[in-house]
Amino acid sequence: MNPEEIVEKFKSKFGAGVLDAKVQTKSGGVSKTQYHFVWMTLERPLLKDAVRFLASEWQPHLSVISGVDLGNILELTYHFTVGWGVRLGEIPVSIRIDLPKDDLTVPTITDIIPGALITEREKQEMLGIKVIGIPDARRLFVPETFPEGVYPWRKDATGVQPEHVKKLWEVGRLKLTPTGQGVAVNVEKAAAPSAPAKKENAGAN
Amino acid sequence: MSGGAEYSVPVGPIHAALEEPVLFNFKVDGERVVDVEVVPGQNHRGVEWMGMQRNPVQVIYLAEKICGICTVCHAYSFVRAVEHISGIESTPRADYIRAILAELERMHSHLLWAGIAAHEIGFDSLLHYTWKVRENEMDLREMITGNRVHYDMFMIGGVRRDIKQDQIPKILETLKYYKDNFEKLGKLFLQDKVIKMRTQGVGVLTKEDALKLCAVGPTARASGVPKDVRQDQPFGAYLDIPVKAITPDALTGEVHGDVYDRIIVRLLEVKQSIEIIEECLKRMPEGPILAEPNITRLLIQLKKAHGEGIGRHEAPRGEVYHYVRMDASDKVTAWKVRAPTYANVMPWVPMLKGQQIADIPIVAASTDPCMSCTDRAVVVKEGQKPYMISGEELHKMSVEKTRRMMA
Amino acid sequence: MKLVKSLDKSLWVFHVNSGSCNGCDIEIVAALTPRYDVERFGIKLVGSPRHADVLLVTGPVTKPMRERIKRIYDQTPDPKVVMCVGTCGSTGGVFYDSYTLDGPIDDVIPVTIYVIGCPPRPEAIIDGVVKAWAKLEELRGETKKKEGKK
Repeated sequence: MNPEEIVEKFKSKFGAGVLDAKVQTKSGGVSKTQYHFVWMTLERPLLKDAVRFLASEWQPHLSVISGVDLGNILELTYHFTVGWGVRLGEIPVSIRIDLPKDDLTVPTITDIIPGALITEREKQEMLGIKVIGIPDARRLFVPETFPEGVYPWRKDATGVQPEHVKKLWEVGRLKLTPTGQGVAVNVEKAAAPSAPAKKENAGAN
Repeated sequence: MSGGAEYSVPVGPIHAALEEPVLFNFKVDGERVVDVEVVPGQNHRGVEWMGMQRNPVQVIYLAEKICGICTVCHAYSFVRAVEHISGIESTPRADYIRAILAELERMHSHLLWAGIAAHEIGFDSLLHYTWKVRENEMDLREMITGNRVHYDMFMIGGVRRDIKQDQIPKILETLKYYKDNFEKLGKLFLQDKVIKMRTQGVGVLTKEDALKLCAVGPTARASGVPKDVRQDQPFGAYLDIPVKAITPDALTGEVHGDVYDRIIVRLLEVKQSIEIIEECLKRMPEGPILAEPNITRLLIQLKKAHGEGIGRHEAPRGEVYHYVRMDASDKVTAWKVRAPTYANVMPWVPMLKGQQIADIPIVAASTDPCMSCTDRAVVVKEGQKPYMISGEELHKMSVEKTRRMMA
Repeated sequence: MKLVKSLDKSLWVFHVNSGSCNGCDIEIVAALTPRYDVERFGIKLVGSPRHADVLLVTGPVTKPMRERIKRIYDQTPDPKVVMCVGTCGSTGGVFYDSYTLDGPIDDVIPVTIYVIGCPPRPEAIIDGVVKAWAKLEELRGETKKKEGKK
């Protein structure tokens, strides 16, 4: 299988629906052997058909879905790899769709590739998109206490604001006495033994 | 004990099997696990967000600190992605040094895992033996890089330290030590009756599930999926040195997809790594180790870089996938890290379903989870009254099961 | 600080990972295994903070872990010593700003010993433990004196 073949197949299947397609070629080592990456931009409604097509033609492995905030649009890229199992046979195929900021919805692909669930959940909390039909819509990584409506990867008003960020390096700068070998003892803050009554409190937890 | 009623048992985040936090919610019927839910997020540091506030050279150091065990693989993947964008190519000698570092890391990581797995079933003397063997390898890495764990060796366009001629005999000597000890390790892990009892037929992941749930690394390979980035889409020195993905049938002729098979795959990979390092040392070309040694000039060049790139590497736990986008500014526009455990979270569910509670530690540990990469925990609820199963108790249950089986 | 000739008891350690990268954690385990073997001094990792004399905390403290660390600290019986292992636990290190971090460790619980390094070598961790031991002996001495006066 070569990368041009993949692009051709997609073009003959989806015609003008393939907005952009390119093959990136790199090489390395002493032998300068080449390897390839395929990038395709598709029209938004074609996403699910494209994934289905990919799954029927090759046995794709979904690596991850990535997303970028580009101002007016959010760019969502589905990173697949096809042709694994053979030396030099694998080609990463990245399928991209653009979502306008006023309609941030995308259908789930978990019915085709169940392993996509984790990465879809992550895209919801990180980018604020809505995955239609996702079997489990809860948060994944972001703590429960984190405010609703703030999406860390967004670069607009809904992104992380300075008040959400804690500057760890500014906290309680102490005067430490170095004692050699990379060990410092903080004399002031050393834990003092507390009264026996307090001990019971501690145990009650 | 089983009366048809199901109980839910949370396990974590201060965990039994792992040093790091993750929460498992188990539904149990008696001793049997009916359903599992994995709740990551205890270790989420927002590394990707931090990376988007920094310049590419600063991100290399952040990428290394994603994980202390697989520090090479994240730095390698990130550096590759940036190299693809900027067109800066790493020098051939650097490619070989990178491969040697990556293989040394795989050896250390697999030995570390083997020790932890032995500990989970109560075989502590084997834990101590494996970790003792592992220390020689740590010395080697310290000699080459200057540090035992995070080495900060990677730079866009090459590596920061060379492997000197007078270091090579020491490297070969250590590799010989591992070859001499390999037989013994193999015998201890694969022939031991107790290990066989506790791992064969336990935590099975079928080939279909592995494919469907996008498993990677030794977890997928032990289920018979011959997927390995070094084989499928080699890069750097792996383009010159062929690597074949190892599946358990190489040793036993059969694939079961259980914990035992995962041990086989990892042990064989240690041997494979030794061979790759020897091959690298033989073929390593002379030349510079950095494409652009002046860091200011490198940064100016990177500031002009525009586009997107993918960096992949086969980490000890599986495929690492970095997506980077740069838009001719001093910061990285987008950075997505897909660590192997991220992909191996979903396969945990079929593996743990139907297992006994006492098998949870060894099954959970068998994918070699690294939650700092992905982001971890254990608690038990009986009826309405929640109570905690501490990591210690869970470990004790696992050890007791071994004792019962031996009796 | 000099160690006293006789020690009241061996040192039991509870290890908490507050969101670290695992680097410090594997070095802590390395300190326990045969090359460094601190177990020969009776130092061992225990599975519950209620048995511990020393808390070994690693990592820059993620938000979900903050309350848990406080709870673990309260569960540890007095006298106790908290050791912070690794640069990111002391100052944030490479994770100097983030939306999910709420550390460093001494912002959550009082820390007595800082072991700096990314990650520190097992030797440095052992040196830290020795200093914690001396500190504990001192604290126990004070407690004994007070009790004696009563």
